[in-house]
Amino acid sequence: MRQILIIDDEDDIREVAALSLEATAGWDITTACSGADGIRAAGDPKRRPHAILMDVMMPGMDGPTTFRKMQLIPEIAGIPVLFLTAKVQGVDQRRFAGLGVAGVLFKPFDPLTLASQISEALGWKD
Amino acid sequence: MTALSTIFSGLLLVSLFLVGSLALRLASRGRRQQRDIERLNEDLKRSREFAEQQRNKLALQSDLDTVKDEFIATVSHELRTPLTSIRGALGLLSAGLLGNVDVKAQNLLRIASTNTERLIRLINDILDLERMDSGRAPLKLRRCSMYDLAREAVDTMTTMADSAGIHFELTSYAPRDSIYFDADSDRMLQVLTNLFSNAIKFSPPGSTVSVQIDSNPNSLLLKVVDQGRGIPADRLEAVFDRFQQIESSDASKKGGTGLGLAICRSIIQQHGGAIWAQPNQSGPGTTLWVQLSRSARASDTGSAAVIAPPAQRGEGLILVCDDDPGIRMVVAEELRRHGYDILEASSGEEVLAIAMAQAAAALEVGTGEHARVPPISAILMDLYMPGLSGWETLQQLKALPATAAIPVVILSVIPQTDRPEQAGDAQGWVQKPFNENLLLAELGRVLGVKGGPGQVLLVEQDMELARVILDGFKEAGVRIDHAATLQQAVDRCLLGPPDLLILDLTLPDGDGFSLVDWLRRQPALRTLPLVVYSGREISEAEMMKLRLGPTQFLNKSKVQPREVEELVLAMVKRLRNPVAEQVA
Repeated sequence: MRQILIIDDEDDIREVAALSLEATAGWDITTACSGADGIRAAGDPKRRPHAILMDVMMPGMDGPTTFRKMQLIPEIAGIPVLFLTAKVQGVDQRRFAGLGVAGVLFKPFDPLTLASQISEALGWKD
Repeated sequence: MTALSTIFSGLLLVSLFLVGSLALRLASRGRRQQRDIERLNEDLKRSREFAEQQRNKLALQSDLDTVKDEFIATVSHELRTPLTSIRGALGLLSAGLLGNVDVKAQNLLRIASTNTERLIRLINDILDLERMDSGRAPLKLRRCSMYDLAREAVDTMTTMADSAGIHFELTSYAPRDSIYFDADSDRMLQVLTNLFSNAIKFSPPGSTVSVQIDSNPNSLLLKVVDQGRGIPADRLEAVFDRFQQIESSDASKKGGTGLGLAICRSIIQQHGGAIWAQPNQSGPGTTLWVQLSRSARASDTGSAAVIAPPAQRGEGLILVCDDDPGIRMVVAEELRRHGYDILEASSGEEVLAIAMAQAAAALEVGTGEHARVPPISAILMDLYMPGLSGWETLQQLKALPATAAIPVVILSVIPQTDRPEQAGDAQGWVQKPFNENLLLAELGRVLGVKGGPGQVLLVEQDMELARVILDGFKEAGVRIDHAATLQQAVDRCLLGPPDLLILDLTLPDGDGFSLVDWLRRQPALRTLPLVVYSGREISEAEMMKLRLGPTQFLNKSKVQPREVEELVLAMVKRLRNPVAEQVA
């Protein structure tokens, strides 16, 4: 079963996204409410995620900062990261792409197709 | 001796008197010149102050734009976040993924979902427009086929069209190799799907939406013709403004955001093209026109002002003002081909700034550079523009001494017949989408009235006499047209009213009376100055039937063509400068 880590400071969005992925794809979801919390969760050897879905604008450490920190931790660096952002400006998108993330998905997402969007971005066939 | 000395002293007195009066006249001319210079200086000062104010306004405007852009981007982001939760929650519930929902609740969930989607589209559209307006969405131009793009857009809309019972018809009248143009294909598809989706939304089931492509050497033309309820004449331009729907319930019924056409116009303008709506000629419905240049020429969205003096080419310098760069481009190209020089302005504020700057420069005679700046001969101006409207700009132009004399021709989707009160100050009117002949005729007429060569129409069936009169006028630098028949005269008048008519009463296909009768029924022509040049005496009763505006009656057997010419020239001069006439 796929393990996904969702990092977002909005409780409601974490809950809706988790429900959506569980209900439509049957994936196993872990959530974290900040960048620091996310790095801790991703480093948990018992529940190492297959992919990380991360918000961009978060208080404290934002998405890009968290992503860069993750790349310095060998156990986490190999996990594909997808940004889930409410910023749709072209400038931001190009900036994200330059970071080396696996993809960018946009809010508000469609809860019925979020899982397939993730699969498509990561090239998952199942 | 006494007689001689009397004569001498008389002569002395006379010469003293002459010298004295000459000195007096010189002194008075000097005073007049002094007054003129003072007045010009006063004008110049006001012009400069005004230009300065406009510059400050523009600078402030640009700061405000930046703040506004950032604000909109932030607001859009902040709105998306809660919408993400709402959309997610509603989506999961109404899909029944978390257990069954009863029918009533299902319906409420559907309402909530539909409106959430609408709100999301609205935010996306606002952001889209904001990005284009701020120039943060540069076009990625590549060679595209208009036909392929239209085909793709039609295919995309097939599902929507089918469920609405609308038939799509795509026809290209353009030669195969002339449908290529430089465009950002994603943006162009966005325009096409938007236009098609509008056509579907406002068409009755069972009707056809026809998409037609045509081309000429310079541009591509795309028409979307629907058989819907149509757009009222006074809203044809307003539908391109933000949140302008024809009926207030359209947004909820049709699911639109009220921004679709504003986005289309913005994209088309970025491509240097034009988009406008027109009622169908036959039957109900609307035709949306898109005109695009075939060569790569994306316009920048910034200021269109070109202050640098262009090379003088003869016909005059026209300031073309329209917020639509596509229209400016088309008009400018047309006028340049006919020898006019063009300045462009994208707003009323720019018109005022440019007109003031030109007027100021023209007054600074003898200061090198500026002395060569040609004055603006006429302003061609749109009515509906963001910021200062055409009306407001017109009023400000007329209120300022330095610019009051510049003739203004309105270029608007509003027909002249609906010309409102404020139009009094405009010297001419051309309706959009414009016919190039009418545009040129109207401009020629306005320039003729205003100091340029006058436009006289000679209606004379005798070719030899006509030749003599024509030659005489041409030598005198007056533009003169000739009509040998009643029909030709009518056709010529329809192209644009002449300044004056010289009329022979005997015509091969009617007589002068029927022409005058027709002219009297034309609002634009009923006060035309007229010279009746006939071969016979005209009775008082006949004169009554022949009067238009200022009317003169001349008999061919008594008055030579040379004298007709002098009289007409005097009349034309008086027309051009009625104030000078009163003073003299």
